[in-house]
Amino acid sequence: MSTQTTPATGEQHLLEVEDLHVEFHTSEGVAKAINGVDFSLDEGETLAILGESGSGKSVTAQAIMGILDMPPATIPAGRVLYKGQDLLTMPEEERRLTRGPEISMIFQDALSSLNPVFPVGWQIAEMFRVHRGVNKADAYAQAIKLMERVNIPAAKDRVKAYPHQFSGGMRQRIMIAMAIALDPKVLIADEPTTALDVTVQAQIMALLQELQEEFRMGLILITHDLGVVADVADRIAVMYAGRIVERAEVGDIYARPGHPYTKGLLESIPRLDQKGQKLSAIGGLPPNLTRIPPGCAFHPRCVMAQDICRTERPELLDVGPQRQSACHFSQEVLDA
Amino acid sequence: MGKYIVRRLLQMIPVVILSTFLIYAMVFAMPGDPTAGKCGERPCPAAYIEKFNAKYHLDEPLPVQYGYYAKNVVQGDLGENQYGRPVAEELSERFTVTAKLAVMALIFEGVIGILAGVLAGLRKGGFIDNLVLISTLFVISVPIFVTGFAAQYFLGLKWEIFPALATGKDPSLFSLVLPAMVLGSTSLAYIARLMRSNIAENIKSDYVRTAKAKGLTPRRVVGVHTLRNSLIPVVTFMGYDFGALLGGAIVTEGIFGINGVGGYIFKGIQNRDGIAVVGAVTALVIVYLLMNLLVDLLYGALDPRISND
Repeated sequence: MSTQTTPATGEQHLLEVEDLHVEFHTSEGVAKAINGVDFSLDEGETLAILGESGSGKSVTAQAIMGILDMPPATIPAGRVLYKGQDLLTMPEEERRLTRGPEISMIFQDALSSLNPVFPVGWQIAEMFRVHRGVNKADAYAQAIKLMERVNIPAAKDRVKAYPHQFSGGMRQRIMIAMAIALDPKVLIADEPTTALDVTVQAQIMALLQELQEEFRMGLILITHDLGVVADVADRIAVMYAGRIVERAEVGDIYARPGHPYTKGLLESIPRLDQKGQKLSAIGGLPPNLTRIPPGCAFHPRCVMAQDICRTERPELLDVGPQRQSACHFSQEVLDA
Repeated sequence: MGKYIVRRLLQMIPVVILSTFLIYAMVFAMPGDPTAGKCGERPCPAAYIEKFNAKYHLDEPLPVQYGYYAKNVVQGDLGENQYGRPVAEELSERFTVTAKLAVMALIFEGVIGILAGVLAGLRKGGFIDNLVLISTLFVISVPIFVTGFAAQYFLGLKWEIFPALATGKDPSLFSLVLPAMVLGSTSLAYIARLMRSNIAENIKSDYVRTAKAKGLTPRRVVGVHTLRNSLIPVVTFMGYDFGALLGGAIVTEGIFGINGVGGYIFKGIQNRDGIAVVGAVTALVIVYLLMNLLVDLLYGALDPRISND
């Protein structure tokens, strides 16, 4: 692919998403949630996928995991290569066995994402019992070890407790313990800290980073919060209306955004050095996915929009070393 | 947990006292002479009436009458009905039949209702879903005496698949199959619909998504993670329904000639047999309260978020 970040020929990425499309067939028409997404992930690398609600970041994650409800979702085009094998064409039974030991996922709201009627230890132990056929006692012992690894105090006493008996941060630790139970190579974290308060957010992010280094996992971090990913991510992909609009190393994007949308997102973060100024926001709303605007999907909200933006969709093109932007005026944005 | 059960049992005492008193008062407020018809075609002799009144303390005020009655009940004596048979003995005979019928109806409505609900809920809008929705609507709208007579005529008499009657003191389990199906049919329809909507809702929940992401088999995702949560309201419904089933079923018992509790109370009311009615209802109140307690305990066991302490 011409737009691939790491161009190395013959070298295989751990995970490679190519031209992924996802559509939802609803009563209001076809919602085009993902419209050709490409990215790759290597061992030990952290890729942040950034975007507003409805930009397609969670759908991308669920399409990689293969847990989209089909129907209403369909994947009309694209490939998801894991170690060179296309997950999308793999028989379902074979693919199921990759969930957990190879690719794993944690979700935003740990309270609703954990089953309320089973003890947390049972839910962690289920990974060992189902995938490895470990007996109940040993699986529980491993669950306790994992709970200790994710810093849950008094893990031994709490292994039989239920999700509602834990705090939000502790619940997310349990989700993480469950996700890393079988040493997956890829961990997808879908807004892992959004439901948590700020101090706990930092702890969870630190834990994720620690575990990633320990297990050399490729980490996909999905968030709408630029602040969360700044310290953790290696690369960032910014999504809008089901496409990647900008892709860059994390430092570059903060220093010099290459797309008006990224710029808008950065400007909407309160900053200590700009005290007293009015916080800017991106005007308007993300588009209805059944009626994505022609040309550049962002043009109705873009302060720089010209005639060309209304008719011609900008391609994701190289605008510098290791970075791409999908904007007709990316150079102007970069120079601004 | 033990403390909770003791507390609940103690709470039952005032409920039992008050409800039995109300029934006692209502039965004895019914117009008519309690000795009427006791002595054939002619009025009873004065000596008999006097003896009768003394035996049941009928000259005393109502609360005192009730007091004497309650004292006997506590000692396990529910009195004698108008034919001179002990009510406790008759009830236990009838109750055995009713309990058999109730358990069979519960199994029927539970197994088939849950199964139909799961299949319908998993494919909302599909063929099975529509079939379940239409057939349950039909069952709910048709009165039980129609269902009962139709089942008796076709399955019992015309095609002779099941016995058409279940008479006698100890009817065979096989002869109770048809009445149990009729008795459980309405609840089956409600259970199927309840289960259907629970499954359809829970299958979209976040924890089911997590279960899929854990790489579990579809069978385990549905059978363990979705089913457990969806069963909670259904089990509660079935618990209350079992309490109601144990109270007897006048119509179904009538159609199939079953000697159950429902018919006993019905006949007792018709014949102004106060002692029989009050005795039977007292027993039913206690059974119903115990079923309620059982349901609450079951609810706590199924859903750890509900605390019974």
